[in-house]
Amino acid sequence: MPPRADVLPAARLQVARLSTVATIGAGVVVWCLLLAPVGALARHLDGAGIRTALHRPDALDPLRVSLESAAIVVTVLVVVTGPFAYLLARRRLPFPWLWEGATLLALMMPPLVIGLLLIFVIGPLTPFGRGLDHVHLSATNTFLGLVIAELYESAPYFILGAQAAFESVDRRLEEQAAMLGDRPGRVLRRVTLPQAAPGLAMAFATAWARAIGAYGAVMIVAYHPYGLPMIVYVTLQESGLASALPYAALLLLVALPLPLLAYAWTARARRAR
Amino acid sequence: MLDAHVEVRRRAFTVDVTLQVAAGERVALFGPSGAGKSTVLETIAGLHSLDRGRIVLGDRELAYAEGRVRRALPTWRRGVVLLRQRAALMPHLNVRENLTYAGSADAARLDRVVERLGLGDLLDSRPRRLSGGQAQRVALGQALLSDHRALLLDEPYVGLDAELRRTVTDVVAEMVAGRGLPSILVAHELDDAQDFADRLGVVADGRLLQLGSPHEVVRRPASRQVAELVGYRSFVTVQDERGPAELAVHPQAVVAGDHPDRGVVLRGTVTARRPHGPGFEVVADVNGSAVVCWLPALPPTSAIEITLLDPPRFAREGVAAGTPALG
Repeated sequence: MPPRADVLPAARLQVARLSTVATIGAGVVVWCLLLAPVGALARHLDGAGIRTALHRPDALDPLRVSLESAAIVVTVLVVVTGPFAYLLARRRLPFPWLWEGATLLALMMPPLVIGLLLIFVIGPLTPFGRGLDHVHLSATNTFLGLVIAELYESAPYFILGAQAAFESVDRRLEEQAAMLGDRPGRVLRRVTLPQAAPGLAMAFATAWARAIGAYGAVMIVAYHPYGLPMIVYVTLQESGLASALPYAALLLLVALPLPLLAYAWTARARRAR
Repeated sequence: MLDAHVEVRRRAFTVDVTLQVAAGERVALFGPSGAGKSTVLETIAGLHSLDRGRIVLGDRELAYAEGRVRRALPTWRRGVVLLRQRAALMPHLNVRENLTYAGSADAARLDRVVERLGLGDLLDSRPRRLSGGQAQRVALGQALLSDHRALLLDEPYVGLDAELRRTVTDVVAEMVAGRGLPSILVAHELDDAQDFADRLGVVADGRLLQLGSPHEVVRRPASRQVAELVGYRSFVTVQDERGPAELAVHPQAVVAGDHPDRGVVLRGTVTARRPHGPGFEVVADVNGSAVVCWLPALPPTSAIEITLLDPPRFAREGVAAGTPALG
């Protein structure tokens, strides 16, 4: 039985109290540091600046470009890499270490380097680029290029998150469902997906935030059309910090609610079980 | 009818069990933990692949493996439901949804099972709110309400009190008899196994050592190993008219005194005594062997006479000298 607090010697009690206070203090400091940029943004934004910046006729184009490209990216991720993550979690792929290694590599690579290397894969002089050229498309400085760059930046986050979500599902539950007569598709729908849902939601939201905020690879592969991160950078270069801030706020506004919602829902779902 | 020859290689030994269970029959497999009993059930249910053998349920072959030829029905098509030691209930569904998971039961059948298992107040609860015993009852109800053709129970009594054990046994017995299902129970407590079974099998190190009526297996163990597993604590070397032999002593199959008409009489010296249940556990030294017996009263002197009631007799090689019936 652990010693009860009220029988601790006074000195030890003092140390215990001090260490609690220190821990809480450190937590507050870390929290403030993390939130400081958001606070700064709120403090430096002024209504007039926002109105001027967003009243230009094409001011909201970057928002539309970002929303559309990120929506396409997360859809592709769910449809294509979702099953891949499932197979990875269930060890059904040959050479699993190879796939996991490749995913981790993509996660670790600086986005700028991804962008540079992508040019060698999807640039106009590559077989892929020439193939696209036949159908009058291009993957550089186009919406397609933007989608591809965002895909590369966000895919590893989704795959690893979804894999962890599927791995967290108790295999015995799936076996139980099968013994009660559910074919594999039904097991997936009735057991695996509901059980993995909180983790999948987090993976989805993270991928969304990564895609909509993608900048490094995007800058190299698809400078145009401007999405929100690019317009923040370009405005900063051309007109200074004050003009860039409204776009930065807009970027946070569209990037963050989904992850926050997903987090809240996940936390609730975990508590409910 | 379930006809199973199951061979599964494991690290330490190969599980190799052959077993026929008739429709409506209850067979219990009893043995120490890690003997391979659960492996047999999981292989029949399709959670383990068969390395060699054949499993047939009714007119359907569930699995076959011989050399490179391997056939296996997927778990969901086998119609075998396995109730596991730790209930695997769906955490995102309430008790009612868990009970009706298989979707094959009508309302009347659901009501009956709910009533028999005393689950009426729990129908809207989530599994995380249930105690171990409640979860186990829900899992049993879920199994009984599914449309299965064989029922396998892996230690279903763990965490249940005596009254619930009785209920579970009764409900299972009713269902199994009513629907003509073959059923196998795995237990590492002999009482549970005897309570449940029409026939009792003793499994150790992956092999089925003996299969017979629950009474017969305990009264006529086929080998010294079986005798030890079913509760014989002492072995006494004797020389009788048939030659040298070992008599197995079950602490409960002993009476104090000299009753040659009821069994074999031994004489010895009491070396230890301690309270046991309503009576005493007495250890006596008989010809150099320590004999443990449970007696209602302490012997008055240290010199003691006891009668072994019809003890199993093994010739010195350790094989029963009589001919124990193998089921």
